[in-house]
Amino acid sequence: MTTSIVQSPQGSALRIVDISGGESVRRRLFALGFNIGDDIELQAKGILRGPVLIRNRRTGVTAAVGRGIAQKIVVEVADGQA
Amino acid sequence: MAKPDAPLLIFIGQPNCGKSTLFNSVAGHKAQTSNFPGTTVKHTHSLVNIDGRLLNVVDLPGTYSLHPSDPAEKVALRHLFLERPDIIVNVVDASILGRSLELTLELLEMGMPMVVALNMTDLAEKKGITVDAAKLSDLLGVPVVPTVAAHGRGVKELLEAAFHCLESPCRGEPPRWSAVVEAGVEKLMTSLPAEFPCIANTRFTAIQMIESGHLFCSEFLEDIHPDLKAVLDGVREDLAARRGLPAYEVIAAERHHLSQKLFEQSSRVQGRTKRSWSERLDDVLMHPVWGYPVLILVLLGFFFAIFKIGGPLETLLLKPFAGLKSALAAEFGSGLLFHLADGLLSGIGGGIAIVLPYFIPLLFLMALLEDVGYLARAGFLLDAFMHRIGLHGKSVSPFILGFGCNVPAIVSTRILESRRDRVLTSLLIPFIPCSARTTIILALVAVYLGPWWALGFYAANIVLVAVLGRVLSLFFKTESPGLILEIPSLKIPSLKSIALKIWFQLKAFALFAWPLLIGGSVVLGLIQALHGDAVINKALSPLVVGALGLPAALGVTLVFGFLRKELSLLIMLQALGVGYQQLLTVITTHQIVVFTVFVSLFIPCLSTFAVLWREVGRKIAFISAALSVTIAIVLSVLIRFLL
Repeated sequence: MTTSIVQSPQGSALRIVDISGGESVRRRLFALGFNIGDDIELQAKGILRGPVLIRNRRTGVTAAVGRGIAQKIVVEVADGQA
Repeated sequence: MAKPDAPLLIFIGQPNCGKSTLFNSVAGHKAQTSNFPGTTVKHTHSLVNIDGRLLNVVDLPGTYSLHPSDPAEKVALRHLFLERPDIIVNVVDASILGRSLELTLELLEMGMPMVVALNMTDLAEKKGITVDAAKLSDLLGVPVVPTVAAHGRGVKELLEAAFHCLESPCRGEPPRWSAVVEAGVEKLMTSLPAEFPCIANTRFTAIQMIESGHLFCSEFLEDIHPDLKAVLDGVREDLAARRGLPAYEVIAAERHHLSQKLFEQSSRVQGRTKRSWSERLDDVLMHPVWGYPVLILVLLGFFFAIFKIGGPLETLLLKPFAGLKSALAAEFGSGLLFHLADGLLSGIGGGIAIVLPYFIPLLFLMALLEDVGYLARAGFLLDAFMHRIGLHGKSVSPFILGFGCNVPAIVSTRILESRRDRVLTSLLIPFIPCSARTTIILALVAVYLGPWWALGFYAANIVLVAVLGRVLSLFFKTESPGLILEIPSLKIPSLKSIALKIWFQLKAFALFAWPLLIGGSVVLGLIQALHGDAVINKALSPLVVGALGLPAALGVTLVFGFLRKELSLLIMLQALGVGYQQLLTVITTHQIVVFTVFVSLFIPCLSTFAVLWREVGRKIAFISAALSVTIAIVLSVLIRFLL
C-alpha cells in the first residue's frame, strides 16, 4: 500500500515508490541522494504544516523537506529492515 | 590570477563536505567555512608554496552534481569547465560516502587527473563506518587519501598524492552504465560533429547532453545542428520508453546505485545500539515542540551575551578617550586644529571603544552557531513561519547571517534555487539589524533605556521583516519552490576555525570600515570647523526637526550613515558636541528611540547597496533604497507621536 510520506508512521522503514513532483524537485531530491527505490524513514514532522525530516537509511543523509514537496513523495512500507 | 607556471588545483565536492576547511589547511586561511550547506558561494584563489613547489589552489562552492540547480553551484561548474585545472581534488564526506561518491563518479567521467580526499573519517568512525581507502582507490582507479581537515590530518599526504598525480596523471576509469544507456551514449558520441564544442571529452559531453535539460545550449542546438538534435531526442525518448523514466533520471539512478555499491564494497558498517550525543541533541533541537523554546533561548542568550560582554567593555574602554578629548580642548582651544584632532580621536576611539566591544562577541557567537550546524536546524524549525511570509526555510540562513553583516548575507542568497526567492530575501535582508546597527541599538537603546527595550526593538524589527515579506510576496506572481535542505550532522566547532573567522572579519573591519569611520569623523570635524554642518543641518531640518522632532544638529549624521551605519553613532556624539556618557544632557530617551529607529532603517549602507546592485540588479537595489527610506520615515514619525 502506498501513501505520501506525510501520512506515514515515524521511525519505520519506508521505500520511495515515486516522487510526483516536477523535474526540478525530482532532480533536487536525487541530488541530495533520495532516489526512487531508496529506503528512508520519517524522523520528525514540523508543527503548523511545517517541513518533515527524512533520513536515507543507507547513506545516512538527513534532509528537511517542505510539507508541499513531502506530500509528493510516495512511499510504501519496506518489508526488510534496512 | 593564475601564474602560468604554477599548476592549477581545484577543490570540488558536495556542500558541507569540509572542502573549505581543507582548502584553508592547504592555502593558509582564506576561505570561509561553516556547517551549513553552501557557505562558499564564491570561488577563492590562492597561490601557495609547498616545500618549494608552487601550486595555484582554487576553492569552489559545493555542488551536489554537475547539473546545477542554484547560482552557487553554477559558479562551481563554470570554474571547473573553464579554468581547465591540472588536477582536481574531490573532497568526499566519509560519513555519507554512499551519497558523496555520486559526484565522484561524474568527475571520473570528465577524465581529468584526480585525487580523492576522504574527509571526515573521524565522524564516519563515530557513526560506525570504516572506509578502506586502499580498496576504494582500487575501485575508482584514483588515489584516495583519508583526511580529517578540521585537525589538519592527512593534508600532507593529500598534497603528496596530488604532486605525484601531476607527474604521472591518475585519471581513473570512467564508470560503465547498463547496455541500454551505453548504446545511447555511443550513438550520440558518434553523431557529435568534429567541431562540436565538447567539454572534457566526447563521452562526458554525450552523457551530459542526455542528462541535462538546459545546459549545452539545448535551445540553440536545433538551429545549429538539427541532425544532432534529432539524434539526441531519439536517444532520450528511447531511454525513457525502455525504462519508464525520464531520460535524465535513468543515468542518475544508475549512478546512484553504483555509488551505493562502491560504498558497500569499500566500507564496513557496524550496527550501533547507542545513539550518539549529536543524535540525542538533535532530538531536542529539532523537536516539533521543544525545538522552539530552544530556538528562542538560543537567540535570547545570543543577545544578552553580546550586551553583557559589550556593555562593561565599552565603559572601560571609553574612559581614556574621554580624558584625551578634554586634553585636546585644553591644548587647541576650539579652532580648526581642535575639530580635526577631535574628529580623528572620535574615529579611532569609536572604532576601539564603541564598535569592537559589541562586534567581537557577535562575531564569536555567529561563528559558533554556523560551525555547530544550528543554522540548518533553524531553517527546519522556521520553514512553516517563512512560508507565511512567502519564503521557505532555506532563507533562514541568509537572514541570520544578516545579523552579522548584510553584505555576505545577500551574497549567500545564491544558495536559493529560484530568482524570486533570491530577490525577496535580498529585499528583506537590509531590514535585519546588522552588527553595525546592533552597536547603535545596544550602545543607545540598551544602555540608556535598558536591555529589554533593545530586545523589544529587535522583536519589532523581526515583526517588520515578517510583515514586509508578506506584503512584498504579493508582488511576485510565482510561488516559492519549497524547501529541500540537507541537515548536516552537528559538529563540535573547532576554536581554530572560529578564531579564523573572527580574524577575517576584524581584518575587513580594520582595512575597510575603520578608515571610513576615522575619515568620516575627520571630514565632519573639517565641516564643523568651516561651519558647513549648519548648511546641511538647515537643509535637512524639515525632516530631522519637523518630522522626527530631533535636534537639528543630527541632520549631518544621516548623510554619513549611508557610508557606514556605526558612523551615525560616532557622528551623533561629535555633532552634538558631547561625550558618550553625557548624552542625556542634550537629548531625551524618547528622541534616542526615534533616532535609532530612523538610522537603523533609513537606507542600506553603501556596501549593501553595491552588493544588491551586483547580485540582484540595479532596479532591485533602488527599490530597496526607496523602500527603506519610506519605511524609516513613516515608522519613526509614528513612533515619535505614538510612543
